[in-house]
Amino acid sequence: MKALVIDDSRTMRRIIGGILRPLGFDVVEAENGQDALDALEAGLDAELACVDWNMPVMDGLGFISAVRRERRWRDLTLVMVTTESEQSQIVRALAAGAHEYVIKPFTPDAIRDKLQLLGLVDLQETA
Amino acid sequence: MTITAESFGFVADLVRRRSGIVLEPGKEYLVEGRLRPLARAAELADVDTYVRALRADPRPSRLESVVAALTTNETSWFRDLEPFRALVDHVLPELLAHRPMDTIRVWSAACSTGQEPYSIAMVAADVVPAGRLRILATDLAEDVLERARRGRYTQLEINRGLPAAHLVRFFRRAGADWEVVPEVRAQVAFQRHNLLDAAPAGGPFDVVFLRNVLIYFDLATKQAVLDRVRRTMRPGGYLVLGAAETTIGVDDSWERVPVGRGALYRTPARRAA
Amino acid sequence: MSEDMATPFDPGEWTDAADPVEAIASEVFAAMVDGEPGHLQPRSGPAPEPDDGLYAWVDVHGATRRRVLLTTERETATALTRALLGLSPDDTVDDDDIADAFGEVANVVGGNVKALVPDPGDLTLPEVAPTRPPAAAGLLHAVPFDWRGRPLVVSLWALP
Repeated sequence: MKALVIDDSRTMRRIIGGILRPLGFDVVEAENGQDALDALEAGLDAELACVDWNMPVMDGLGFISAVRRERRWRDLTLVMVTTESEQSQIVRALAAGAHEYVIKPFTPDAIRDKLQLLGLVDLQETA
Repeated sequence: MTITAESFGFVADLVRRRSGIVLEPGKEYLVEGRLRPLARAAELADVDTYVRALRADPRPSRLESVVAALTTNETSWFRDLEPFRALVDHVLPELLAHRPMDTIRVWSAACSTGQEPYSIAMVAADVVPAGRLRILATDLAEDVLERARRGRYTQLEINRGLPAAHLVRFFRRAGADWEVVPEVRAQVAFQRHNLLDAAPAGGPFDVVFLRNVLIYFDLATKQAVLDRVRRTMRPGGYLVLGAAETTIGVDDSWERVPVGRGALYRTPARRAA
Repeated sequence: MSEDMATPFDPGEWTDAADPVEAIASEVFAAMVDGEPGHLQPRSGPAPEPDDGLYAWVDVHGATRRRVLLTTERETATALTRALLGLSPDDTVDDDDIADAFGEVANVVGGNVKALVPDPGDLTLPEVAPTRPPAAAGLLHAVPFDWRGRPLVVSLWALP
């Protein structure tokens, strides 16, 4: 499975990538929404995109809106990972088409929990 | 840092037995930091003194507080997911259909800081009409119940398994934290209760959540607890255990109902005469 | 002006008795830097002005204009970078890595501080420099911390 990690902070891309790789994702990084769109246009077949909000050129909301306009990217799961934590911002992101929302700071478990909710990973114990 | 190796070992053993969480040497910082507020509340000089006092007088409520203090961040919303889906897809619709006029009563036993009972209330919000659901949430430790009553959680706690759509619908920001909205808090009554005692008032219950708490007990006690729980439930009521738990081999009076990859456990339905 | 010349803190600005800036910083460090709580502790007295300091800040441009500033020694910022990225003591970190990591910590702390007030507005991109940022109008609140025994201050400033 491929995951796009979109954040203008190299540090954040490394942290998120470090959480996703052990879960089986091949991670592709992008610095902003436009670079990420270009990667998708060029044929990147990703199942997951973790998107920051505040980025130059094209921000996270712009990326999400662009992706959700296209049928061909219908299966791309969009998770916002951002410091924006006001109620109204979360509502905006979900309305624009984000499937989930992680507020920074997050722990690796928080990301895993969200991926579990979305059915992208399976970490359940059973009896 | 005050905690001695011996005290640390005691705490690590306690936490491992009660929660499965392993605190290796090197985690003394964590224990020191998490138990410092408890030591202060007990008006003891430092954490090591607190632990030594605890060992000398190991009351269950105090042991629970220590375990809670060290495992709080591990509590998530909608833990294991499937029981909550089962609640919405099967259990609640069935109960509503069979008893159209009654209140549905749910007991969340060992509710800790409240994520479980509030998760139940949230997931039931679109299924059960307002006012027809009562949730009783119990735990051994008064301090976690206080936290649960306030319904106030840190950003880190809110990030654990709570769907964003539920966050914006059922929570409001409170300073740096998030607080459960009053309509949801109103559906849950928190009460101190020891599972080794008689069942709490508020039954008979249609659904009981008894998750990841039987592991604390030996077989005889497990059986006693399950027996008491069953007696406090309506016929055809549902018991929800932890994902890795089962009544099989412990108590054969329950009907195992497969749900997803797990199961719920049902009390015998009353047969018409 | 350094953080030990703070004007008295006005609790009316915040909605809670407990210091939310302290709570936010503790959470950021617990979640992302250390992986567990307890390593970032409030100090009892003010922190000394750093000898070889590094400063990271974000500005909030909304109904009110504020700056969230992190102040520490360069050496501490280096250790912070290693912790944040999960690097061993042998891994090299360069100035870019440190600026990016320290800046990101300021960004996350700042973003959460921003959410404390109604109508907060936008956050600027983080800036990192070896000298104090200019143009602050006044210190509103400073929380001196010890992170693994090393001083680190989180401060909130009014902007003109």
